[in-house]
Amino acid sequence: MKSESICRVRYGCAVGAMHSAVAIPGTIPIADCGPGCADKQYAGLVFYNGFQGSGYGGGASLPSVNSTEKEVVFGGNERLRELIQASLKVMKADLFVVTTGCISDIVGDDVESVVGEFQARGAPVVYAETGGFKGNNFIGHEAIAKAIVDQHVGDYAGPRDEGLVNVWTELPYQNTFWRGDLQEIKRILEGIGLRVNILFGHGSGGVEEWKTIPRAGFNLVLHSWLGLSIAEHLREKYGQPYLHVPMIPIGSIETGGFLRKVAAYAKTDPERAEAFIREEERDYYRYLEEFSEFYAEYFFGVPSKLAVVSDSAYAAAITNFASNQLGLIPVKIIATEDPPEEHREGIRGLFRGISPDIPEVQFIEDGFVIEEEIRNSPRRPAIIFGTTWERDVAKEIRAGIVEVSFPASYEVVLSRGYVGYRGALSLIEKIFTATISASA
Amino acid sequence: MGKKIKQIAIYGKGGIGKSTTTSNLSAALGEAGYRVMQFGCDPKSDSTNTLRGGTYIPTVLDTLREKTKVDAHEVVHEGFAGVYCVEAGGPAPGVGCAGRGIITAVQLFRQQRVFEELDLDIILYDVLGDVVCGGFAVPVREGIAQHVFTVSSSDFMSIYASNNLFKGISGYSKSGGALLGGVIANSINQDYSRRVVDDFVARTKTRVVEYVPRSVTVTQSELQGKTVIEAAPDSAQADVYRSLAKKIAAHEESAVPSPMDVTELREWAGEWGRRLLEIERRAGSGNAIGV
Repeated sequence: MKSESICRVRYGCAVGAMHSAVAIPGTIPIADCGPGCADKQYAGLVFYNGFQGSGYGGGASLPSVNSTEKEVVFGGNERLRELIQASLKVMKADLFVVTTGCISDIVGDDVESVVGEFQARGAPVVYAETGGFKGNNFIGHEAIAKAIVDQHVGDYAGPRDEGLVNVWTELPYQNTFWRGDLQEIKRILEGIGLRVNILFGHGSGGVEEWKTIPRAGFNLVLHSWLGLSIAEHLREKYGQPYLHVPMIPIGSIETGGFLRKVAAYAKTDPERAEAFIREEERDYYRYLEEFSEFYAEYFFGVPSKLAVVSDSAYAAAITNFASNQLGLIPVKIIATEDPPEEHREGIRGLFRGISPDIPEVQFIEDGFVIEEEIRNSPRRPAIIFGTTWERDVAKEIRAGIVEVSFPASYEVVLSRGYVGYRGALSLIEKIFTATISASA
Repeated sequence: MGKKIKQIAIYGKGGIGKSTTTSNLSAALGEAGYRVMQFGCDPKSDSTNTLRGGTYIPTVLDTLREKTKVDAHEVVHEGFAGVYCVEAGGPAPGVGCAGRGIITAVQLFRQQRVFEELDLDIILYDVLGDVVCGGFAVPVREGIAQHVFTVSSSDFMSIYASNNLFKGISGYSKSGGALLGGVIANSINQDYSRRVVDDFVARTKTRVVEYVPRSVTVTQSELQGKTVIEAAPDSAQADVYRSLAKKIAAHEESAVPSPMDVTELREWAGEWGRRLLEIERRAGSGNAIGV
């Protein structure tokens, strides 16, 4: 459903993807936009979303052109040149990523040639056009990744390392739990014998790791759609194949299946994969066994119907886990990130594949409409996997709430993740803590 | 204070004679005793040249580029017949946003209330070419000009630009913007060109304010860096501009035009194309009319 205006939107604008640069260790974005843009994106995506912290090069330390009317009328090239020069002088980074905002993109600043001057001198600077009118931070993220590949990683014609994989998955910072999730994804892929370029977050080797992208045997796109255009780009540029797994795995069944799929594609030692899966399942089910007492005893307080309000990838992962492993019944599924039209049918198929009797996914961006959908749902959810913005309607219909998506302003998140084996256990803890504490 | 300043915007296709017409109009109004300002809204910043002996003056934006705060008086320069000359200026070609530049320059003057302070009777905005973006439509918006005139020849591209301007005016008229005073028909020496323009104004429900013939006096004057009013005050051409000035000074009632849509305009132009061919064919077989 489309409305004329959107309230309580669940993403940032393209320039908000400057945080994808922040997410690469040792990288600092240079915001080529108005003074409010960088701060607003930071406050929304980083602070009031799990209070993730600005890291090495984000938040208050992020250099910004802070465009004024002068830059609009006369163009901002001079000011940007000055800022890059100053940033190179006073800030230590392996890579600077200039992310342009609406002003620069509309006025038509020649950012390419300004950045080109520095590149010609060997300075580690790239730029991406991320004016907000181009789309949201998902779109901006893909632009930034391609910019780094094209302008910094460069051409490669050497040998390929079949055991090395580049992983393109959740959107850093937008997904409140990306840090923990990416660590877990890296851990389990390493578990089956792969070497992993996780590319973002604390498990990434930063810019040096990015430079090994062309050497990897393949790209793994672990998302309903985000990263597909990057993988396509890498296929064209380096002839690198990619594997698309649209369902981010949560819990033992999905994770085991995922690992087997990747192992078969990468042709790693199947025995090693099976051994790893066995070991992980052993731990996982020990915990579940202990949890089963609670589950059996508290059957009267355990919710059965659920609603999910999140971006399509996380919404699918959670719906899948909740319905196929926890036995909950999805009654409302809303994907909020405005995925590109060409991916929507695929996303619908992803949800249909979870179970034949779950509702169709709805693509809704507007907070008001989402609230109405939940409020008027003929089958009332007892628990909502959503954002801080679903708290009001949750209260109204007396449903429990688990904040799993941007903005999660009543969650402090450090390393917690919800994917894979370990993440699933955390998610179970979170769901049933929310449930049991509701009556406190 | 308290008197209403008559603010007029003059538009038209590039090279059609806007600045020439506007400067001569300013000069004629100045000569007639009005307190006039000519505000050039073109990044080329040559609107007022012939009012100042062919010289360029520092522009609002050049001055703004140097410092953050500008006293508007610094960029007002007196020209022939006491006409106050201002050039908005703009960024270097190919960079920045010239449209925003025009907005900035006009706002600076309004904020500092310079128009009132100079006790002006008439302000003429000479605006670049076509209404290509919001910035160049600024003089048409609410609270700036009350009347718009377009300079047009019988040339199709010039008529096309005028028609586009009419679209802009119709749009802004709903929110209190300026209305159309009429068309200043320029370079009208042939009977057919007069008929083309007459037909265009009839179709778009406006009128011709003045027919200005193409004249070598204009070229001669401009080569001296002067308006016709200054360089050839006794010429017939000077009187044409004086007549125009008189009409503009007395002009009160403007209206919303009815621009043609694209297909209509094309058909209209096609029809005129056929008629002109016919005229030429007849002229070729009979007496040459020297088209």
